[in-house]
Amino acid sequence: MNPSRSGYVGLLYAAPALLFVAVFVLYPLAQLFVTSLTNSSLLGGGEFIGWRNYLRAYRDATFWQALVFTCKYTLIITPILMILGYGLALLTLSANRLGKLTRAVVFLPVVIGLGSSSFLWFWLFDEQVGLVNKLLQDVHLIAHPIVWFVDANLGLAAVIASIVWKVVGFGMILFIAALQAIDAEVNEAALIDGASYWRRILHIALPLTSRAILLTTLVSAIGSMLAFDQFYVMTAGGPESQTFTSLYWIYQNSFIYFKLGYGATLSVILMAIILSGSTLQLLLMRRGRGT
Amino acid sequence: MGRSNWLRGGALIAALAASSIAGPAIAAETLTMWVRASAANAAPHLVDLWNSGHADKIALTVIPDNQMVSKLATGVKAGEVPDVISFDLIYMPDFMRAGFLTDITDQMKADPNFAKVAPAFTNLATYKDRIYGTGFTPDVSILIYNKDLFRKAGLDPDKPPKTLDQIHEDAKKIRALGSDIYGFYFSGACPGCNIFTTSPMMVAAGAKILPRNGDEEPLDGPGVKQVLQLFRDMWTEGLIPKSAQADNGANFTANFKSGKVGIQGAGGFLISDLKKDAPNLDFGVAFLPGAKEGQASAFVGGDVVAIPKGSKHADIALQFIKWELTDEAQLEGLAKNNILPSRVDLADNKYFQSEPRFVTTAKAVGIGYVPWVFHFNDMVNSDSSPWIQMIEAAVFDGKVDESIAAAKAKMKDIASD
Amino acid sequence: MSALVDLGPNASAAATPRRRPHPAARVSPLLGALCVGVIAIMLFPLLMCFSASIKTAQEASAVPPHYWPAALSVENYLKVFRYQAGLPVYLANSFAVAALTIALCVGLGTPAAYGLARFPVPAKELVFLVLLSGLMIPYQALLTPLYIMAASLGLANTYLGLAIVHTVVQLPFSIYLLRNSFEETPRELEEAGIVDGCNSVQLLRWIFLPAAAPALITVTLFAFITSWNEFLAALIFMNKETAFTVPIMLVGVRQGHFGAVDWGALQAGVIVSILPCLAIYLLLQRYYVSGFLSGAIK
Repeated sequence: MNPSRSGYVGLLYAAPALLFVAVFVLYPLAQLFVTSLTNSSLLGGGEFIGWRNYLRAYRDATFWQALVFTCKYTLIITPILMILGYGLALLTLSANRLGKLTRAVVFLPVVIGLGSSSFLWFWLFDEQVGLVNKLLQDVHLIAHPIVWFVDANLGLAAVIASIVWKVVGFGMILFIAALQAIDAEVNEAALIDGASYWRRILHIALPLTSRAILLTTLVSAIGSMLAFDQFYVMTAGGPESQTFTSLYWIYQNSFIYFKLGYGATLSVILMAIILSGSTLQLLLMRRGRGT
Repeated sequence: MGRSNWLRGGALIAALAASSIAGPAIAAETLTMWVRASAANAAPHLVDLWNSGHADKIALTVIPDNQMVSKLATGVKAGEVPDVISFDLIYMPDFMRAGFLTDITDQMKADPNFAKVAPAFTNLATYKDRIYGTGFTPDVSILIYNKDLFRKAGLDPDKPPKTLDQIHEDAKKIRALGSDIYGFYFSGACPGCNIFTTSPMMVAAGAKILPRNGDEEPLDGPGVKQVLQLFRDMWTEGLIPKSAQADNGANFTANFKSGKVGIQGAGGFLISDLKKDAPNLDFGVAFLPGAKEGQASAFVGGDVVAIPKGSKHADIALQFIKWELTDEAQLEGLAKNNILPSRVDLADNKYFQSEPRFVTTAKAVGIGYVPWVFHFNDMVNSDSSPWIQMIEAAVFDGKVDESIAAAKAKMKDIASD
Repeated sequence: MSALVDLGPNASAAATPRRRPHPAARVSPLLGALCVGVIAIMLFPLLMCFSASIKTAQEASAVPPHYWPAALSVENYLKVFRYQAGLPVYLANSFAVAALTIALCVGLGTPAAYGLARFPVPAKELVFLVLLSGLMIPYQALLTPLYIMAASLGLANTYLGLAIVHTVVQLPFSIYLLRNSFEETPRELEEAGIVDGCNSVQLLRWIFLPAAAPALITVTLFAFITSWNEFLAALIFMNKETAFTVPIMLVGVRQGHFGAVDWGALQAGVIVSILPCLAIYLLLQRYYVSGFLSGAIK
């Protein structure tokens, strides 16, 4: 860093983006917070009611159930995505043609929209017109077709399958980049010492890509906490409201029940939870690296 | 100077003369109209007919069904509304109360065609004695049955079930035809499908479904339990496919179209769909029955048309609404294309003569009901509504009485908001 | 797609082309089989989607289903092509909005990332956090206030209005990627430029941008994907059929009464909407690889 470079010049460079964020993110966020203190309705009207919405949220059983479900979903899918992503990165790291092809195919679902992908899997898992049941029966894994979306856990499994398919390529790409950034000399030294493949992964690859792993995990977890589209399309929150996620419940309140004020309150609470979780993880990361 | 004045004057007169020969030089307007996706097949018939005969044109914009309410509401907040709008009639009370729609009482009351519109539509479009809209592309629920399967099961194909018990009996006989043939179907996780096709059977058997306010009793009457018990019995006896439990509407008609279902509730829209997608399927329609013979009802649904407040061409929009109630529009636009007319006097028209099933359907509008309530989404349509939770708990878990009681309490809560 | 972004701490290694064995590089028949297995699993849904899209509408909704069509038909694609305003209109709108989104993300993100990466900005981490805050906010919650703001600015029903919302969603990730890329650029390059008498703008233009080419391409690709596939904001912000984007068309074309789904139309729609994304991905991939290899070699 050039010492004669002024920090304020840097700020100037960042100014356009900062202005954009201030106007189009922070200001609406402030408005959202103000709305959360009212009983504003989608159909118009609403007056200031102070913290009443927050009290209501505290007592809202469905909100907490949805939050628990969202956390459950995040805790299950994040390790799956990270482990599979890392594994696929290791698998396709070599520059040979098969590796490159695999990489491209795994990344392919990333370019599809989440809505389209969810509908595609909704069709595949449909008991009547879907092919997953047919496939499972053809390979003799199941005897009778399963009605996936009648059971909350089966429905969750179906959604997780669809999201893993769609998103694992993203993690894979980020991990490949991190792995390729490892200095080849470190690897050389380990080879000379006679280290086996798995020891090299464990003692070289993982530690040297730890920052990437942690950051990717964080971004993935935040995305999962904000999951909505996939559940909206595939399970419709069912059966019996068991697969509502936090954002889905917010959507229900804001746009179906017209309670914009209360929906805003739930949004604020959700964001606060995500923010604290992320801050915690970042702090732990800092501490772990001794910086 | 004087000469150029003459020239100018002369030019002006010439221009005026030319324009009067050519016709009125008023610029033709283009109106924007929002319609629901499920009306996207029906609405163009009316709109195209209007466009072919009028200088002012209407441009349709199709909004996905479940986004229509939020789109209009945010549009009103932002001051961006269409000139005319057609939407699911069940939202009229909420929109009227919110002040989103233009009062058209005086012009409508003076219109002779308006008086002939089905009372269901007129009632729904009235708030505090003021009128805000009228029927546009109606639909109504009916019972539909597979005549081929009836014949195979030894049932008379021209005698559809007229009571709940007859539905049960007929379904049993059809189920006996084969392991992949089912007697009855309904979409077990679809709130809208069920309010459309299941609630009329409850109403026919004597029940009132939704409350207008916190003082009215929801789900009141023996009909509710009778129908839920019927469905429960058919479910435990295996007369309904297992996949019905998870169906949120995606396969509402797919099973019947494949010829594997004997009886189900559906809407008038299915008649044309079947003729197009399953031309070899011989089917019949009937009123949705109640507990005793002679009891029947229907859900009068479909879309209404209204003028949002802030419409930039409210006057032309009004002309359009008056026009669509005329004989020409109702017959050439709707009936000719197998869509129900809003006017009851046209139920038996020349286009429907060739297809008696449409006549039955049109007649169902006359015996049908439509609830006039606020918070319809809350109570019925939402994915977590008391209505669908009651059906799911009663039919699939067997908790008939508990589920009715729970739904009653929740609906009362919502209605008193 | 050799590498996306250099997240590792050893920046210098990223610049040199790899010639020595990598800790994880291996070639073996077992791994080959694994790759083929992975390819099969990943392609299965898309193959089935394509297969259903070329069936007749009736066959696509058949109960029980079959893997492959008995009779080929383009009726699903025709339905998608002819829907309402016609597919070309929706494609054009989606492209326009995506192009604007890319321009905004790159135009705002590049200077911001440069400033944060190479200057001692006061409260740098806080600034970075503020710029990344969009990641933690469910943008759906902001749609109503954003739309009202846009309408008052005359941006309702415009490409720019919608592109702004898409940028809100995509800018955090863009800045993150670009900042990492600028941070990993070797100091020697920058110093060489300073010695040559470049000011900060020239450094950005001649040294850092070429070095960050892979990251820029990635930002472009993801901005395109996000914008192309976004549905809710597009529906709220656009008021005329002729302004609608592809995702809105996809929802409409498959919808029937009471949520009944036209499966054939759905599949055809999915295939149609994937193709441009795929094309852009394949197009950028080529530049991308060569960009990386020629990146920052002295």
